[in-house]
Amino acid sequence: MTEMNLLPVGFEALNPFVEFWAVDTAVKRAQCRQISDQKSRAQFYDAAKNLMPDALALLDTKSLHALNDSELRLMKLALSFAHVALAVELQREEESKHAKDRVHMKITQAPADL
Amino acid sequence: MQPQFEQAESDAILALGTEPIPAGPYYQPQYFEWERDAIFRRRWLQVAHVCELPEPGAFIVRELEFANVSILITRNKEGSIRAFHNVCTHRGTQLVADACGKRSTFTCRYHGWTFSNSGELRSAPDMQRFYVKPHDCNLPNVAVEVCAGLIFVNLDPSPQCSLKEYLGALADQLETLPIAKATTFSEYVYEIDANWKLAYDNFQENYHLRFIHPRSGGGGAVGPDNPFGYPIRYHFYGEHRTQTIWTNPNPIMSSTQKLAFGKLIETLKQRGLLHSEHARDYYALFPNFFLLGTPTQHFSHTVMPINAQKSRGVIRLYWVGDDMNASERFGREFSMAMARDVHSEDRAVIEAGQKGLNSGALTHIHFQSQEVLCRHLFHSVDRAVQAYKAENALIGKAS
Repeated sequence: MTEMNLLPVGFEALNPFVEFWAVDTAVKRAQCRQISDQKSRAQFYDAAKNLMPDALALLDTKSLHALNDSELRLMKLALSFAHVALAVELQREEESKHAKDRVHMKITQAPADL
Repeated sequence: MQPQFEQAESDAILALGTEPIPAGPYYQPQYFEWERDAIFRRRWLQVAHVCELPEPGAFIVRELEFANVSILITRNKEGSIRAFHNVCTHRGTQLVADACGKRSTFTCRYHGWTFSNSGELRSAPDMQRFYVKPHDCNLPNVAVEVCAGLIFVNLDPSPQCSLKEYLGALADQLETLPIAKATTFSEYVYEIDANWKLAYDNFQENYHLRFIHPRSGGGGAVGPDNPFGYPIRYHFYGEHRTQTIWTNPNPIMSSTQKLAFGKLIETLKQRGLLHSEHARDYYALFPNFFLLGTPTQHFSHTVMPINAQKSRGVIRLYWVGDDMNASERFGREFSMAMARDVHSEDRAVIEAGQKGLNSGALTHIHFQSQEVLCRHLFHSVDRAVQAYKAENALIGKAS
């Protein structure tokens, strides 16, 4: 598979983020936020922020069970964006300090994983 | 211009007293032993939700470490929820090792005794060589009742009252909330080196919000007229209590908060779950359970003691129905991640408080009027402990 068709048409700008951020579970998404550095979080956030409303609108046109591979990757990116947005928008310069406290809050279940 | 916030100060609050609170009950092992026997072995404790037992044969196991008790909770073929001590009645071996699953019978790995999910001993190899009848070897029952989908157990073999009586007027309110219809949840857990009351108190006062949550908690809970985010109302229901959270009419929200909660609100509307007269009520059910009525972050929080200076928190955001679309899935993930961000900020400062108390440097601690829920918890605990001690003293005299 080439990088060209990793994601639905219109979301090619997010292709470089698929390998790291398009992961399967909430635990892994929280882990990506935890281990990423400020620069990589900012790059993903900046690339994804304005695309999120369109991404959700596109994905909402289908049942979650009917999403194809590229749409599933986009869904996973959106879910990771939910985590990384908290780092960029809320925690900001305190993110690395916050990460040390956050690691004690262990995610055990999320509807997206069921 | 009318103020947007007026502080809740009432005779009911002042009637709870102004005296300092003794520090010992927040760290001393002896006091914790009294609490365990007077409260945690006698009151209704929330341990699960019916959505974890969606069909006959489903089971879950809950460990109550403070009492060295493991509880097996089942849904039998009649659809009833039952609870038992998770011990084989042959020689006490823990019967079920899995945390959850689906099974209509449970067989002890030691000698093969087999029990139904209604607790009856079904078979035991070479039973005729025993000096006891099979029907005298059923699993020991634990009292279990349900309110608003929440499963409560009571370790007292003869509970002093039913769950409905225990919850009083709050039972009907809880039944109106989305949790009563919940089919799934998000969950995160934490362990903390802190007495259960110290941990619990953190989550029933807003005095700390501006200091501990300046970034994550500032959007909707505080504002210029209410810089500490104090509630608009308190209510006391025997040992239980509620606060009605103030809502900033002009909240500062990040763009992703707006997107995620906007999506959740759309789907909650479609599900008929958006509006509730108790949406801003925060329930504190004695001894150790919280529930926030807000449908976009409808979370429960149980602070389960482990010992005098160690506890475990279980936080769940309850949802009705599977994710209906990508937007709802995104909104639920964000709501969970954001609640986790806020709760993450509390843990370290609670542990710092425990360290200070453990030193024995303080004989008393102090609660202001807006920490009245903490005062009410201590009063409720201490009343139960003193009653228990008096009861034991009478028994001691009688024997």
